[in-house]
Amino acid sequence: MNVGLPDVLVQLRSRGRQATIPSVYPPIIHYATRRGQSGKDHPVTAISRRTLIATALVTPAIARRAFSQAKVIKIGAPLPLTGALAPEGLKQRRGYEIWADAVKSADGIKVGNDRVKVELAYADYESNTPRAAQAVERMITQGGVSAVFGPYGSGAVKASSTVTERHKVPMLAPTASAREVYDQGHKFLFGTLAPNDAVTVPLARFMLAAVPNLKRMAILSRNDLFPLALGQQMEQAAKQSNIEVASFQRYPIGAMDHASALTEMAATKPDWVFVTGYTNDLILVRRQMHELKFTARVITMLTGPSYKEFIDALGPLAERVSSVSWWEPVLPYRGVGPFATSEDYAKAFTARYNVVPDYGEASSTACAVVLQTAAEKAQSIEPIALRDALAGLEVLTFYGPIKFGPSGQIESQKCPIFQLQGGKRVIVAPADIRQGDLQIIS
Amino acid sequence: MSERWMVGFATTAAIGAALGLLYWAGAYELRLGTILAMYIALATGWNLIGGMAGYPSFATAAFFGLGAYAGTLTQVKGVPMVLAWTFAAVVAATVALAIGWIVLRLRGHYFAIASFAVVIVLREVATNWTGLTGGGMGVSLPMLQSSMLAQARLFFAAQAVLAALAVAISLFVAYSKLGFALGCIRQNESAAGMLGLDARRAKTAAFCISSAITGAAGAIYASSIFYIDPSDVFDILLSVKPIIMAMLGGAGTVAGPILGATLFMILEQTVWANFLSVHSAILGALVVVIAMFVPRGLFGRRLRRRLA
Amino acid sequence: MIAQVLLNGLLLGGLYACIAAGFSLLWGVMNVINLLHGTLVVLGGYLAWMAFYFFGVHPLVALPAVALLVGLFGASLQAGVLGRVVGAPVLVTLVITFGLDLITRNGLLLSFGADFRTIRPSWTLGTAEVGGLKIPLDRTIAASAALAMTLALYLLLRRSWLGRAIIAVRMDRDAAALMGVRVRHAFTAAFALSAALAGAAGALLGLVFPISPLQSDGYLGTAFTVCVLGGLGSVVGAVVGGVVLGLVESIAGFALGAENASIVSFVLLILLLAVRPEGLLGRRGYA
Repeated sequence: MNVGLPDVLVQLRSRGRQATIPSVYPPIIHYATRRGQSGKDHPVTAISRRTLIATALVTPAIARRAFSQAKVIKIGAPLPLTGALAPEGLKQRRGYEIWADAVKSADGIKVGNDRVKVELAYADYESNTPRAAQAVERMITQGGVSAVFGPYGSGAVKASSTVTERHKVPMLAPTASAREVYDQGHKFLFGTLAPNDAVTVPLARFMLAAVPNLKRMAILSRNDLFPLALGQQMEQAAKQSNIEVASFQRYPIGAMDHASALTEMAATKPDWVFVTGYTNDLILVRRQMHELKFTARVITMLTGPSYKEFIDALGPLAERVSSVSWWEPVLPYRGVGPFATSEDYAKAFTARYNVVPDYGEASSTACAVVLQTAAEKAQSIEPIALRDALAGLEVLTFYGPIKFGPSGQIESQKCPIFQLQGGKRVIVAPADIRQGDLQIIS
Repeated sequence: MSERWMVGFATTAAIGAALGLLYWAGAYELRLGTILAMYIALATGWNLIGGMAGYPSFATAAFFGLGAYAGTLTQVKGVPMVLAWTFAAVVAATVALAIGWIVLRLRGHYFAIASFAVVIVLREVATNWTGLTGGGMGVSLPMLQSSMLAQARLFFAAQAVLAALAVAISLFVAYSKLGFALGCIRQNESAAGMLGLDARRAKTAAFCISSAITGAAGAIYASSIFYIDPSDVFDILLSVKPIIMAMLGGAGTVAGPILGATLFMILEQTVWANFLSVHSAILGALVVVIAMFVPRGLFGRRLRRRLA
Repeated sequence: MIAQVLLNGLLLGGLYACIAAGFSLLWGVMNVINLLHGTLVVLGGYLAWMAFYFFGVHPLVALPAVALLVGLFGASLQAGVLGRVVGAPVLVTLVITFGLDLITRNGLLLSFGADFRTIRPSWTLGTAEVGGLKIPLDRTIAASAALAMTLALYLLLRRSWLGRAIIAVRMDRDAAALMGVRVRHAFTAAFALSAALAGAAGALLGLVFPISPLQSDGYLGTAFTVCVLGGLGSVVGAVVGGVVLGLVESIAGFALGAENASIVSFVLLILLLAVRPEGLLGRRGYA
């Protein structure tokens, strides 16, 4: 409700939103007043015949536009476009944009008998979690969005999902995988990244089988929500597989030096080193491992090796680093949506952005495709109808089979384990999509 | 005489505005009002130690975060909200007492740095004490079942009451012996000692009251967003913004922080909404201009020292 | 293993000393706490990265140019902004430098993005191994260069006319003016030197760490702690403080876990402030 705010603030707020219907009339009147031969500026009397004809020709176009503008689904996308997480925010945005463009060229999505246009409303929350929640609230109460794509990362999703839950608007989170995000009993939250234990348990089993005599491992985790949760899950999975966790270290956010942690880890002589963090942390850790001549037979890092930046920054040091992903371009799925197969998606993405997509971008597009499918199934763009459709959805897409579990997190995903060989990601597990074998670092 | 009239008018206007928001505004406007009330509380709280006593404290974020965690962790155990908030204020004041014993010996730059360091230490402790605080993974509160409008009203009322309380305390202090003592300390602490003032007691009192208000604000804030983690509530900007607000309006005065907070809030909301990529540069430029040209604040000179 | 931990600490300490020397100069001489300092270090890192990326120049070679550019930037800030508030209360200068920091950081963020840049020179010296002790040579060179520059600052202050003018201004501004020292110029020179050293430190750090605007808080915190540890008013103090901090962090990280290392250093900071605010070697004046 817009009660009580001074005009100037209302105007300032509305400037932030994209204009939906371009204003055509004022220029015509302006044109008319300028060309008025009588020298008077009165808009009505100064309209020349030329202008009247022009208006008559243009009006049907305007009318058609206004009419087709009637059905628009607005989707909120709060992203960290500035600040620490800006690179990740931009990736998510690319994932949405490529879908939005594909949908636009198909003239909108099919909801019942209408073709509904899609409008993405972005907001920059500056990598600051409370701002993310604020941005989401603003989008819902002021922007009239029917659904929200989650912000980047588990922490921000957890915080802003309380907002969407309160307002009963569905949120689709493409980049949140910690189970802790989904444990608040929210009915309106959905996530397209499989939980951490879907990553760690198969990983532990695979390594145990693939690496002879794997006895000890060392874990180094960054001390915030997702990396720490992942590290703890790995510890549990290792225990289940009878691998001894000789050392579990945590490093503070923004740590500049890992020498002490690495020195201590090296002393335990682990067979397998498992490191979690964001790309920048992992680059630093790998470099310092090399400086300290600390090596192990297997080095697994999450989530850096999925990104081009990691490979570029480390060069030869990135060789034989293994990792787990939630999606790879070589996956064999074929499904609904603007991109039939993973390969189609990768091709379209590369053509547009000049870089091979990684799982974060694919997950973002998957969220969009899933929302589209839900809208088509529910034949409505009402938030609650969308939510119900999402809850009961079971669909195959380029991203894989998508089915959300009772907590809202996807439960149908198989996470490929890969290793960097020759600067490329080579999938080593699961067996049905395997491309090569794990190479032990000697 | 005319000042009393101005104060009375301003108070009535403020109460009127608050009640108006409460009855007619939607959730979004209420949320803005809540932020404003919180800013007023924080700026007024800082003003006690930073403006009146002249001790440039950067510890606001430390007590904000402390209050947020104290409030949330007790609420998780089932304690009702208002009680949890009061508990948070008490915890903040107690910790301030302990820390103040060390830190209030210092002056000027050294005090500023020490207070800054306190923020970092508390933040790291919160991040690493995973058993108590959930560490980097944060703490969530169960969602309230009432409508979002009712919730918005509740939290606005809470922050507004806190802000009013803070201003009342500030007024009371300003007119009391404590306020006089703080003023003396600000001007010349050694000379104040010669007057027979117990500078230690006065400083500590100001520091504890200030942190109690800040802690309560943090607790209410945490309850209103249902999820906190260390880097959000121990953010150093939470220390810096109240200083800027108080400086903008006139540090050391009672009305200064209120006016400064309001002005800052308007600027912040309009800048954030419209200049996404350069907003922190604009904030920075603003800060520089204010500090260079109006260091005593917009209202620091015109209105009389103690009251406005 | 303890030897390795100590070595790590020493190497870190050398870099810390360089980061802090410029900061200490400004604080000791002009009584200005420059909250912009960390960002100047990052700026130096970016300039070095640009030199490497666009011209293929190794950071060590680009060092003088980087120092010069950042120094000029610092001088212009001093002349334009800070020079007008000399002698203002503590809060004012803190807030002004904070504002300048926001502006500069935003500028860096816009120009380079928050992405980390790494400098990967094609020739690296690798790691020497001496009796089980692993000595990362690149880091050693960076730390040595850092100490060398700090020494250069020391000599400059002690031996040159400019240095003595700066010290004189700190001791007694009016007397220095009476002696023919242009006080404003001395201040500008001090700021320029401080910034130049920060930029140079950034270039060296770029050899070892990834570069990003997000690192500036960490560098600032380090500068604070080193200054308090080693004492203001002493270049030697900055070096001692830097080395001690590096050792403390390394040992604390090893003994208590990496996540607690910063708690230890900040608690140390607070305790030192309470017990011995002038630091290990502090004394008035600057020498």
